[in-house]
Amino acid sequence: MNAKLKETILNPIFKGNPITVLVLGICSSLAVTVTMKGALVMALSVIVVTGISSLILSLLRNTIPGRVRIIVQLVVVAMMVILVDQILKSFEATYAIDKQLSVYIGLIITNCIVMGRIEAFALGNKPWPSFLDGVANGAGYGLILMIVAFFRELLGSGTLFGIDILNRFGYVPNNLVILPPFALILLGCIVWVQRSIQKDLQEK
Amino acid sequence: MNTNNNVYTVIYTTLIVVVVAALLAFVSQSLKGKQDANEKADTISQMLTAAQFGTKAEFQKAGNAAVLAKYAEEIGQAFTINVNGEKVQDLDLTKVYSPKELKRQNYNIKGGANKTGEPELPVFVFKNGKTVVPIYGAGLWGPVWGYIAFEQDLKTIAGAYFDHESETAGLGAKIKDDPAFQAEFVGEQPDFSQANVFEIVKGGAPAADGKSLTDNKIDAITGATMTSQGLDVAIDTWLGAYAKYFQAAAPKQDCCGGEGCEGEGEHCENQEATEE
Repeated sequence: MNAKLKETILNPIFKGNPITVLVLGICSSLAVTVTMKGALVMALSVIVVTGISSLILSLLRNTIPGRVRIIVQLVVVAMMVILVDQILKSFEATYAIDKQLSVYIGLIITNCIVMGRIEAFALGNKPWPSFLDGVANGAGYGLILMIVAFFRELLGSGTLFGIDILNRFGYVPNNLVILPPFALILLGCIVWVQRSIQKDLQEK
Repeated sequence: MNTNNNVYTVIYTTLIVVVVAALLAFVSQSLKGKQDANEKADTISQMLTAAQFGTKAEFQKAGNAAVLAKYAEEIGQAFTINVNGEKVQDLDLTKVYSPKELKRQNYNIKGGANKTGEPELPVFVFKNGKTVVPIYGAGLWGPVWGYIAFEQDLKTIAGAYFDHESETAGLGAKIKDDPAFQAEFVGEQPDFSQANVFEIVKGGAPAADGKSLTDNKIDAITGATMTSQGLDVAIDTWLGAYAKYFQAAAPKQDCCGGEGCEGEGEHCENQEATEE
C-alpha cells in the first residue's frame, strides 16, 4: 500500500479526526453516546453510509452536473441512510437497538462528516481512495463516539454494554452524565488531550 | 460533455431520483414482512412481560419464534370491548395491537378531530386468568405505551411493561428500562370509580423499607417529570376507558385480603395458586 493511501486511512483516525479536529458530527455524538451498544451500532452505520456514499459519488463524479451536485449528493446519502435503517429494522438482533436509536439513524443524513467528505474528497478522487476515506472518517467518528460512550455509560448507568460493572459495589449512577451537556464536557476534554499531544494544532 | 447544460441537468436529476426511488421501494417492500414480524414479536413479548411470564431481556434472548410459541401456548381469549364495557367482537388469537393501532384507538377514546370511529379496545385474557390491556399516550419527545396485567380478580395489578419511542435514555427511558419502576405497579388496585384511576406522584410513594405501598400511587422517575406525567395521563385515559368493563367483569364476592371476610371462597384459592 502506498504512503498516500495509508495517510488517507490513518489521518481521520487521529491527526485529522472529524470530531475533535474538524468539529463535525457533534450533534449526534451528544445524542447517541449514552450506551456503548448504541454508540457502536451508530458508528458502524455511519461507517457504512460514509464509505458507500463516497464510493458511489466518486464513481459518478465526472457525470454530476456542477450546479446540482449538492442535491445529487443528498439523494445518494439519503438513500444509504434509509437502506441502513431498513436493514437494521429487519433483523431480530438489531431491531431492538434500532428502536433505541430511533430518529438518530435517520439523522445520519444531517451528519456533516458524510457530506463534508464527499465535497472535500470523493468528488475529486478515484473510487477506491474515496471509499477508504469515507470508511476512515466514519471510523474516526466512531472511535470518539465509543470513548465518550464508555465514560457516559460507566458513570451514568454503572454498566458497560449493559453488563453491570460499578453498581455491584454500591455505585449510585450520576444523572448529569446521562444528559447531553456532559458529552460536550467530555468532548472538550478529549480535544484538550489531543491538542496537548499534537502541538501543531495549537494556535499561536 | 457539457455537464452544465440545462437539459442534461434535468435529465440527470430525474434519472437519479427515479432509480433511487425504485430501489428504495423495492427494498422496503421486500423487507416489510420481516419488519412487521419483528414488531409483532416485540409487542407480544411486552404483553408476556407485563403478565409476568418472564423478563423482556429473556424474551429478547429467546428470539421471535420462542416468543410467538409461548404466546400461543398461554393466551386464552382475546376480544375487543367498547367504552361501556360491552364486548364488540372476538379477536383472532394471533392478532395483537401494534403501537400504530393503539394510537388510532387513543384518538378514538379522546375524541376530537382525529377520531375515526368508536373506540374498540382490546382485552387479552391468558389461560392462567390474568388479563392484559394496553395503554397509550404522549411522553416528552414522543409516544409512550405499554401493557398492564391484572390478576383474576380484575382489580389488582399483576404486572406492567412500558415502552416509548424516543424518551431520554437514562431518564424518561426508565419507564422501559428500569424493572424496579415497573415492579412498583404490582399489587396496586386502580380506583375505577374515579376519573383519576391511578397516580404517578413525586416522592413519598415508597414505604420506608423501599418497597412500594399498595396505595394506588407510584413514585415518579427522578429527572423525568414530563414522561412520568405523560404516563400517568395515558394510564388514566386508558384504564378509565376500560373502567366499566373491569367493574362489570370483576368476580362479585371478593374476600381476598378484604376486611370483614369470613372464610375464603374458591376464587381466592385459585388466585393464591397462580401467585405461587
